[in-house]
Amino acid sequence: MPWKDRYTISDERSLADSDIHWPDGKRCCFRVVVDLSPPCGPSGITPKDLTTSDAHFAMHGGLAGVRETLKRYGLRATFAVPAVIAEIYAATIRSLADEGHEIAAHGFKHEDVSQLAREEERARLDRTTDILAAVTGARPSGWFSLPRPSDKFAGGALSPHTVDLLLEAGYDYFGNGLADDAPHYWVSDFASRRAILTLPYYYHFDDQYFLLFPRKGTGLENPEGLYRNWKAELDAQYKRGRHFAMVLHPHGIGWPSRLPVLERFLDHARGLPDLWNATSAQCARHWLASYPAATHLKLEPSIWRDYPGSLS
Amino acid sequence: MSSAAELDQDIAALRAKAAEYGARHSVIEQVTWPEGVRVAVNFTADFDAMLLRRVLEEPPMQLAKGEFGGRVGIWRLIELFDSHAIKATIFTPGRICELYPEAVKAASRSGHEIADHMWEHRVPSEPELERDHLRKAKAAIERLTGKKPVGTRSWHTQALLLEEGFIYNSHDTADHRPHYVSKPDGSGPLLNLPFHYVIDDAMFFSFAWLSSENAAQRMMDPDHVEAIWWDAFMREYRQGGYLNVCMHPFVSGRALRIAMLDRLITRMKALPGVWFPTVEQVARHVLKTHPPKKFNTPAA
Repeated sequence: MPWKDRYTISDERSLADSDIHWPDGKRCCFRVVVDLSPPCGPSGITPKDLTTSDAHFAMHGGLAGVRETLKRYGLRATFAVPAVIAEIYAATIRSLADEGHEIAAHGFKHEDVSQLAREEERARLDRTTDILAAVTGARPSGWFSLPRPSDKFAGGALSPHTVDLLLEAGYDYFGNGLADDAPHYWVSDFASRRAILTLPYYYHFDDQYFLLFPRKGTGLENPEGLYRNWKAELDAQYKRGRHFAMVLHPHGIGWPSRLPVLERFLDHARGLPDLWNATSAQCARHWLASYPAATHLKLEPSIWRDYPGSLS
Repeated sequence: MSSAAELDQDIAALRAKAAEYGARHSVIEQVTWPEGVRVAVNFTADFDAMLLRRVLEEPPMQLAKGEFGGRVGIWRLIELFDSHAIKATIFTPGRICELYPEAVKAASRSGHEIADHMWEHRVPSEPELERDHLRKAKAAIERLTGKKPVGTRSWHTQALLLEEGFIYNSHDTADHRPHYVSKPDGSGPLLNLPFHYVIDDAMFFSFAWLSSENAAQRMMDPDHVEAIWWDAFMREYRQGGYLNVCMHPFVSGRALRIAMLDRLITRMKALPGVWFPTVEQVARHVLKTHPPKKFNTPAA
């Protein structure tokens, strides 16, 4: 087996806290990601998924609550938008971009791409890029594949081709990786060191897992747990000088019963001096300039050997 | 309809099975710790990173979640233990020695015990391959640490573990106290230094642990878990007992949980008589002061 294929996607060791620096002497990067996909299954958004009250609230009342809150706290967020949502709600998406928020891609219709043929995945990816570029006037810089509430695993799905296709299409970053809590490189080919910058995601900081998850009627409402996880991670990462990212769903956090939890957390964050609120694209730009893969991706030679009777 | 004799047979068969299982477990009622020690606390880390996820053929994001343990989590745990002058035990699959040799060497250099966690986090059913795997795991650890492991957290065949020189297992939980597990006749005993699943980070912080359903996910915050673990510790402290805290670097290595563990250890250290040895140290102490009972000849 060459290198560590099918075990690891990055190098052996993350950057030390002391090696991480943010622009203008800022202490910790603070990213807010808003997922604009309504709840859907692995095949992506279907007509049925758009005729639910959650889907309606996500693009209307819930979104209004979230964007008003962001505005009040002076925060810029990254909106992860499936292409079909950008088509249907083009004016809304444009207005978010006009407010200074980043519009990033979130699949053609937030489908699970892991089983798609390469050409099929490429066709959907290219169409997504074109749609978002037409709606916002600029090509998206980043691509997300966030988990759906019905997914068996809480990380999001990609195919063996996704990273290569994103690089070919000129994307700067992939938005949800779990192998680090700072930006890092996702290597698609170890021999040639082909890699895409990957920004951290972790499900403990994603509202959907704490608010009647997996669905109303069967889930528990646990806003205090969500608040405590956000706060404990931000405090710890701020102390280390690293990075914090949270994921919000307007159909989840956008309700009057839940927005106070978000406000309480943002009140706390506002009290920390020198937090750098960046969009994902700004974070990626800084990282690519300061920690390029050419100098900072350290792929150690593998001492792995194949043996009969063992995993290869 | 069952006859009375058939019902009696049922009772007898169940009684025999319970008695046989009971006879295999010998709990040390009250451990005597070294002078000045009230409670022994073992911090143990199962350093399997993405290996179990790979064995279970889970998707790439799940592997990346585990990879966090090798790139980030293990280093933070070593740093945490060193900052408190605590000696911990890292249960490491042999394959992880090949993926993360620097981390394993660093842990060993800091004086932490490197113990076995199976070659690739599974035990083959074929006896010869099982032996081959265990020997490979031992060799992989010895190559990095210069020392043969004497402890394991595994479900390897007990007779094989004894043959291969292991002095303890840290796996099953027939009791919260150190205990011996043997054949029903009392032969072949191996010391077990147990952890309970409530004192295991993965039960609170990991999504989809071993195929649990989405509606069953209960993702907790660090304060919630700190309270449970602190209560467990205080109970053992008051009764002069034993606590084994099971962690996974990809779970506990997250910044918010390192901060919680730092608080927990600081609170424990503020009390007199708390001993933080490696599991091997506890094992050697228990084996010396509470050796297994002599071979019991079954009643004729």
